Amino acid sequence: MSQLQARFFTDNKKYVIDDVPFSIPAVSEITDLSNVINKLLEGKNGDHKHVEFDFLVQGQFLRSSLATHLETENISTEEVVEIEYVEKYTAPQPEECIMHDDWISSVEADSEWILTGSYDKTARIWSLEGKAVATVAGHTDVVKGVAWVKRDGLSSLLLTASLDQTVLLWEWSSERNKLRARHCCRGHAGSVDTISVDPTRSKFCSGSWDKMLKIWSAVPTEEEEEEEEESNRPRKKQKTEQLGPTRTPLMTLSGHTEAVSSVLWMDTEELCSASWDHTIRLWDAETGSQKNMLTGSKVFNCISYSPLCHRLATGSTDRHVRLWDPRSKDGSLVLLSLTSHTGWVTAVRWSPSHEQQLISGSLDNLVKLWDTRSCKAPLYDLAAHEDKVLCADWTDCGLILSGGADNKLYTYRYSACLSDAGA
Amino acid sequence: VGINEQWGNGMGEGLSEFIRAQMKMGLLSDPRSRVQETLLWYQASLHITFSLSLSLSLSLSLSLSLSLSLSLAFCSQDIRNTVGNIPMEWYKDYPHIGYDLDGKKIFKPIRNKDELDEFLDKMENPDYWRTIHDKMTGTDVCLSDEQVDLVHRLQQGKFGDVNFNEYEPAIDFFSNEVMIHPVTNRPADKRSFIPSLIEKEKVGKLVHAIKMGWIKPRRPKETAPQYYDLWAKEDPNAILGRHKMHIPAPKMRLPGHEESYNPPPEYLLTDEERQVWEQQDPDERKLSFLPQKYLSLRAVPAFSRFIQERFERCLDLYLCPRQRKMRVNVNPEDLIPKLPRPRDLQPFPTLQSLVYHGHSSLIRSISISPSGQWLVSGSDDCTVRFWEVCTTRCLKTMEVGGPVKSVAWNPAPSISLVAVSYGENVILVNPGLGDRLICSATDQLISSYEEPEEVKDQQVQWAVPEGKAQEQGQRLILTHPKAVKQVSWHGRGDYLACVMPDDGSSLQVVIHQVSRRRTQNPFHRNKGAVQCVSFHPSRPYFLVATQRYVRVYNLIKQELTKKLMANCKWISSMAVHPGGDNVICGSYDCRLAWFDLDLSTKPYKVLRHHKKALRGVAYHKHYPLFASGSDDGTVIVCHGMVYNDLLQNPLIVPVKVLKGHIITHDLGVLDVAFHPTQPWVFSSGADGTVRLFT
Repeated sequence: MSQLQARFFTDNKKYVIDDVPFSIPAVSEITDLSNVINKLLEGKNGDHKHVEFDFLVQGQFLRSSLATHLETENISTEEVVEIEYVEKYTAPQPEECIMHDDWISSVEADSEWILTGSYDKTARIWSLEGKAVATVAGHTDVVKGVAWVKRDGLSSLLLTASLDQTVLLWEWSSERNKLRARHCCRGHAGSVDTISVDPTRSKFCSGSWDKMLKIWSAVPTEEEEEEEEESNRPRKKQKTEQLGPTRTPLMTLSGHTEAVSSVLWMDTEELCSASWDHTIRLWDAETGSQKNMLTGSKVFNCISYSPLCHRLATGSTDRHVRLWDPRSKDGSLVLLSLTSHTGWVTAVRWSPSHEQQLISGSLDNLVKLWDTRSCKAPLYDLAAHEDKVLCADWTDCGLILSGGADNKLYTYRYSACLSDAGA
Repeated sequence: VGINEQWGNGMGEGLSEFIRAQMKMGLLSDPRSRVQETLLWYQASLHITFSLSLSLSLSLSLSLSLSLSLSLAFCSQDIRNTVGNIPMEWYKDYPHIGYDLDGKKIFKPIRNKDELDEFLDKMENPDYWRTIHDKMTGTDVCLSDEQVDLVHRLQQGKFGDVNFNEYEPAIDFFSNEVMIHPVTNRPADKRSFIPSLIEKEKVGKLVHAIKMGWIKPRRPKETAPQYYDLWAKEDPNAILGRHKMHIPAPKMRLPGHEESYNPPPEYLLTDEERQVWEQQDPDERKLSFLPQKYLSLRAVPAFSRFIQERFERCLDLYLCPRQRKMRVNVNPEDLIPKLPRPRDLQPFPTLQSLVYHGHSSLIRSISISPSGQWLVSGSDDCTVRFWEVCTTRCLKTMEVGGPVKSVAWNPAPSISLVAVSYGENVILVNPGLGDRLICSATDQLISSYEEPEEVKDQQVQWAVPEGKAQEQGQRLILTHPKAVKQVSWHGRGDYLACVMPDDGSSLQVVIHQVSRRRTQNPFHRNKGAVQCVSFHPSRPYFLVATQRYVRVYNLIKQELTKKLMANCKWISSMAVHPGGDNVICGSYDCRLAWFDLDLSTKPYKVLRHHKKALRGVAYHKHYPLFASGSDDGTVIVCHGMVYNDLLQNPLIVPVKVLKGHIITHDLGVLDVAFHPTQPWVFSSGADGTVRLFT
C-alpha cells in the first residue's frame, strides 16, 4: 500500500479546493499534505501565501503518517479517505513572566487585571503587562483561591480563600489603588481550597477540606460603612475589624465524604463540585440538594465546564484529563481521556471561545493545550515552568495564564489561527 | 503254660461251672455218663484241647489229619472205639482197649512180639514202612498204595483229590458286559422304589436351614470367562518393562551414488574439493571417504577402513545409551498457586507522584495527619518538617536538639498533636495545622493540667517549653532516662508509648498519659531488647516486639495473652491490621511475616520479596493493602484482604514494587505510611526525600 485515494475538504471558504480525489503516498505526513494543499491553492489563485494546515481524518487529528493513523484507527484504505484540513493552530505566544515571592496557588484574570493567590499568605493584583498593582494581605495562612466578583468601573470586588479557613471579600478601587476588606466569611472547619462566583455575581460558593460546600452572599452590605466611620475603638479590635464584619454562609451543602477540591457554577442555579472522594456532584443551588453524581476512580484535583460544548473536564491524581457529560444519568461514563501528562493534573480550563480546546497544567511542570479531536497528543506543550504547575486560567480575551511552584506566573497570548488574529 | 497253671489253681471250685460252660458251647455232644469216667474224660479232653491249641506245629497237624483220614478209612470196618481221643496208656493195664458202638469191650489183640521180632519184621517185611500201629484198636494196619499216595500229596501240600485242578480259568461273573440274563435273578428291593425317609429328613433340614438363612444357596456362576492376568504383578522397572522404553538402534544410512564404484561425475570431487576434504578434520568431513571411479567392479580394491568402521559402529551401538528418559512434563505455571491478577485488585499505588524535597539527611520516620492533609517527617538533620500532602509544600520546619528517631501524629481527629522523639526527649508538638478550633482546644487541653498535690517521683520528667519553642508549637517535653527510639499513640490519643531499647533492662517501654502527665512502666522485666510497640486498634491489648517474638499483653488483665514467634532473626517493624486480628512484622533478614492472631502463633505467611532488610511496614486503614519498605530502595505493596468470615484465610497478593528512592549509605527506604483515606503510600528514605506513590 504505497498510494491511497484521498479527498480533501474544508469549511473555510478561503482555502476551498476542488472536490476531487487525489492519490497520495501513504507514508505522507502533515507537512507533505500541507504542501500538497498549498500547491493546489497556488495553482488556483496566484497570490496565495503559504499556510500550514492541520488535517483531520474522521474527526481525529493526524499526528503520525497517514498509513499508521489509518491502521490504528481501523479505517479502510480501500475507499477514498475523507480528509478535512484546517488552518494550523498557532502556538501560544509567551508574553510575560511575573515573579512572585512564593508559590502561586491560584490565578484568575479578566480583561484588565490579573489576580493571583500565593503561598506567602497574600494575593496580588497585576496588570496584564506584569506590573504589580496591589497586594492583598490579610490572611494568616496560605491563600489557596482567588476570584474576581465584580468589576464595574473603577471599583472591584474580589475574593480570597485561605488555609486559615476563611474567605475574605475585598473591595478594590483601581483609581485610588485602595484595598479594603469588606467581609470575613467564617464557617469552614478546614482550609478553603476553592471558590467560585456565580454568573449573577451576587453569590459565591466555597469548597473546603472539611468536605463542605458553602454558599455565601457576595454583595457587601452597606451598613458597615457607617460602622467604619465611627472607628474609635481599641487597637486590637480595630485590627480584626479591618477584615470586615464576619459573614455566615447562606447555605451549606454536605454530601462529599472527602475534601472538596474544586467547585464551579454551571449556570445560575447549578453547582458542580469535584472531590477527593472520587466523585463529581451536581447540586441545585436554590434548594441545596444533590442532583447528580459522576463517579470516577481517582481523586479529582480540578474541574472545568465549557458552556460551549456542555462538557466537564477534570484533572485527576493520575495522568489523565477526562471529559464528562454532566447530563448523563448513568453516572460514571467518561467521554474521553486525554493522556499525555506524566504527573497529577492540577489545573484544567476550557477555552472560553473554542468549544474543542482546553488547557491543563500538571505536576510534571507542563501546561498542555489540547484539542479534543486529538486525545493522544496535545496541540502544544507549554514547557516554561521549572516546577509544578498549580493553577491555570484562560481569559475571554485569549490570554493563557499558568502559575506554579517555581514562583512564576507565565502568560501567553493565544489566538486560534493566524488569520483570526486580532479577531 | 500260663493257662494250664491257671486252670490247675481254679480246678477245684470252678469245675462244675466249667462243664456247664462246655456243654453250652456245644463241645460236648455225647451225653453218655459214667461219672468217674466222665470226669477222666473231661480232664483228658481238656488236656488235649489245650495242647492242640498251644502246639501248632506242622507235624502235629499232619498227624491229626492223618488220624482223621485213618478214622475215616476204618469206619468201613465198623470197628469203632468209642473211648475218644484219650491217652491209650490209660487202658494199658486192661485187657480191652475200649468199647464199640454196642458197648462191648474191644479186646486188645494178642501181642507177643518183642523187640527182636520187631526188628526182624522191619528187616523182612517189605510192607513194614507202610504199616502203622492203630492205637485205638491196637492193631497194625498196612496202608494201601492209594493211601500212601494220599499221604504223599498231603505232605507236599497238594490237594487231596488228584482230579481236582486248582488252576482252572476264572470266570468273572460281575463284569462290565451286560448279559442277557442277570447273574442273580433276585427281584428288586422294595426300598429301591420307596422314597428314602433318611434322605427326606436330610433334605428337610437343608430346606429349613436355607429358609432360616443359615445356608446360602449357591450363587449363580459367573458366565464371564475369567482370565489370569499374567502381567499383573510385573515390575515396570524389570528388564521386560525396560523393553518398552527401548529405542531401536538407528539404522545406517543406505549407500548413495557417491558410494558407487562408478558414480555420476557430479559426485566426484574436484581437486579443490579434494584438498578441502583432506585438510578437514576426519570428524568434520561430510563424507568419510573419497568417491572414486573405477572401470569395472573387478577393479574396486578392498575398503581399507572396513574393520575400523565396523568397530566404530559397534562402539556406537554399545556405548550410546538409547533409552527414553522419563521426564515429568509439568508446566511451571501450574505449580504457582492461582492468585487473582493485580489488575483486578485495584486500587493500589502504582506510580511515584510526588517527592517532598527539603531534608538534608535521612528521614527516619513519617506520619500522616488523621485527615490526610498533612505529613510530618523527622530527619537526622535534627529537623521536623510539616508538609502539605497534595502540593509537597513544606509549611513548617522545626528544629530540635538531635536526630529525630520517630514521629507520630495523634490518631484522634479531635486532637492536634504530634509526638517527636529525639535523643532522650519526646516532645509533643501542636503543629497548628488543620482546624483552628481543634488546635486551640488541644492547647487548652494541655494547659488546663493542674499539678496534683502529691507529686510522685517519676522516671520521666515532664516539662513545658517556653519562649521560642513554645511559639514553634512545642507544648510538652518529656525527658527519659534513655534514648527513645519509637513513639506510638493509642487510638484515642491520650496514651503514648515510648520504646527505649536496652537488652534485658527493666525500663524499656513506658506509657505516658498526656492529659494527666503521668508515666507508667508496664513491665517490671522485659525479655530481650524491645524493638517496637503498638497499641491494639480496638481491644485493650499492647503489642511488644522484641528481636524474635511479638508479645501481646492484655493491659486490663495485666497478663500475657499471646506470644508470636516470628521465625526471623531480628524484627525491625510491626503494624497491626485495623481489624485487629492480623499483625505484620518486618525483619532485618528480608522477611515479612503475616500473623493471623486467631490462627496460630506462627506466621500465616512469610513473604521474602525484598532483597535487603525491611525497615518499615504499614497497613492501610480502609483498603486491603499493606506495604513494606526495605534497604534495597523499594516499597512493595501487597493486597492483603482480611475477610469477615473467620473461616476464610486472608488473601495476600503482592501487587506492586515501587522504586524511586536512591540508596544512600546502604540505606534505602526507612519508613512507610499509608494515606488515611486514599490508596496512596508514602515512603521516607535515606536520600532525604519523602515520596508519595499513587
